[in-house]
Amino acid sequence: MTTASLPAAAAATTPERRRRGSQGPVNSSPPVTRRAQTRLGLILVAPVIVMTVVFFVFPLANALYYSVVDFDGIDPNPQFVGLANFQEMFLDPEVWHALGNNLIWIIIGTAAPLVIGLLVSVLLWTTRAGTSPYRVIFFLPYVLPGVAIGIVWGWIYDPVSGWLNQALTVVGLGDLARGWLGDPNLALYAVLATAVWASTGFVIVILLSALRNVDIELVDAARIDGANPAQRLWYVILPQIMPVFLMVLTLTLVGGFSVFDIIFIMTGGGPAGATNTIGTYAYSQAFELSRIGYGTTLALLITVLSVPVAVFLNRLQRRLSLDGSGA
Amino acid sequence: MANTTLGSATKRRTDTRPAATDERTDLARMRRLRKPKPQVGRHVLLAVLALFTLFPVLLVISTTLKTPEDVRVNPFGFFSTISPQNIIDAWTVGRFSDYLLNSILLTVPSTILVVVFSTMAGYTFARLPFRGRTPLFYLVVLGLLVPFFTYMIPLYFQLRSMGLLDTLLGAVLLLTSGGLSFGTFFMRAFFSDLPVELEQAARVDGASELQIFLRVMLPLARSGMGALTVFTFLGNWNNFLIPLLYLPGGDFRPLTSGLYMFTGGRSLDIGPLAAGTLITILPIIVLFIVLQRQVTQGFLSGAVKG
Repeated sequence: MTTASLPAAAAATTPERRRRGSQGPVNSSPPVTRRAQTRLGLILVAPVIVMTVVFFVFPLANALYYSVVDFDGIDPNPQFVGLANFQEMFLDPEVWHALGNNLIWIIIGTAAPLVIGLLVSVLLWTTRAGTSPYRVIFFLPYVLPGVAIGIVWGWIYDPVSGWLNQALTVVGLGDLARGWLGDPNLALYAVLATAVWASTGFVIVILLSALRNVDIELVDAARIDGANPAQRLWYVILPQIMPVFLMVLTLTLVGGFSVFDIIFIMTGGGPAGATNTIGTYAYSQAFELSRIGYGTTLALLITVLSVPVAVFLNRLQRRLSLDGSGA
Repeated sequence: MANTTLGSATKRRTDTRPAATDERTDLARMRRLRKPKPQVGRHVLLAVLALFTLFPVLLVISTTLKTPEDVRVNPFGFFSTISPQNIIDAWTVGRFSDYLLNSILLTVPSTILVVVFSTMAGYTFARLPFRGRTPLFYLVVLGLLVPFFTYMIPLYFQLRSMGLLDTLLGAVLLLTSGGLSFGTFFMRAFFSDLPVELEQAARVDGASELQIFLRVMLPLARSGMGALTVFTFLGNWNNFLIPLLYLPGGDFRPLTSGLYMFTGGRSLDIGPLAAGTLITILPIIVLFIVLQRQVTQGFLSGAVKG
């Protein structure tokens, strides 16, 4: 959850960069100051650089190495296999199946929280009083650990005495009752519903803060001109919060590539691999089958797929922001 | 908040406002007078949504409070009996007391390290220019773009050869390094927004660069450090993969992976499992409710910045 949110936050960095060139306090400083700044700067930055090199750059470089060897985790001199891992990846039907699941996850897992989040945030925004408890409640699932969420939703989906089946029986839809997480055709969607429950609150709170900057007079003017609520939302409100909307889109979308926790906890990729995504498949290859080289290659695929998307969406968002719509 | 993009946007708005204020408040008042209808429907809808959101949490609490017999007969129905037995079982037999202690031992030091290191580096990247600084910054921020997955497997073998696998120190260092990219990025943005004049005035008064950092700039960054602390604490407390992968022995297992391991093999122990879940989420819920402003602000500014 949190890890998933980080990449996009990072992706959203760039505008700062360009401001820097023009206004840096540097140029005017005398050499003495500059030397002192360099000295202090190097000292202050050292811990972060050391940590980054040891626990990020080094393993990342190793990942590239692992992807071209056949490493079982024990052999100190694994055999070089060239691009065989990549070749196997493209020919492995389970990879394509897992990628398909990632795609479903990305589409529904992005669209549903955004749509629900937009509707609820507008509902909160247009409600005059007493909305702050709701904001707290809606955000709460987002700070809960995935393990706890997975366990409780597992109970809700329980085939025998789970709340979902009991509720279906009560409203006369008892025929639909089933073991939600045990059904290969439904398990992925059941887990997705849980993820939507867990992440929508985040969308609500972010969009709500963006809505505070929306010009109410424009909305009123549209109302007077006869625009219905849907038209007001689509043509008046949404364009004004577009940059923030795109930012949330980036966050959830990029998170969709590297989804792991919730699936791993709720189904472990099962039943029979039905809910595997690239993340859980890479994990099981590496840590359950000791196919370290292949597992690492699969994990690299996640990066290769997600980074360009993050960069593209970030560019788009920046362009919109520069058009001056408030965010 | 004033440091975030959102915040400054809000400020900009309010700043430009006064000129037109009279008309606007009049308009607003007229609107309110024209449509005084109570928004009952909305509140009902919101209450239903809130109940749906809270339902799983209520389910955990309810199941925890039941007697073990009640859980066996009707595992997920709402509680009709009250007993501390499940909590006692989870705490002792389920080893959740150990897990809680380990969660604290992992989360507190790593959070402190993240905040201290990120503040130092963030200040440098915002205020202390030197040759080669920009590539270093990109290197640090690259950690935000690359998913942890990509290097989690090699990291396992690296830790093993460093002798840090299955040690508290190793896991704390990983949790720390995992938070540094975001923390540095966040604190840099915070320091960048502080006025240059303060720093220049202190320099004219003869303050050393270190004094400027410690005495002038650091006190101003307190709210940013606070938000980063809460944000990092939550992230590290909830972290599942790092303890799962790098603390396999179980001696230092925290709540998250402890809870996961507890589900494996004895899924029938619903009562203690519920109690364990409650022990895991209770600190988070309390922290969230007490500091909810900082939490949401932290997430917001983290996400929106830039």
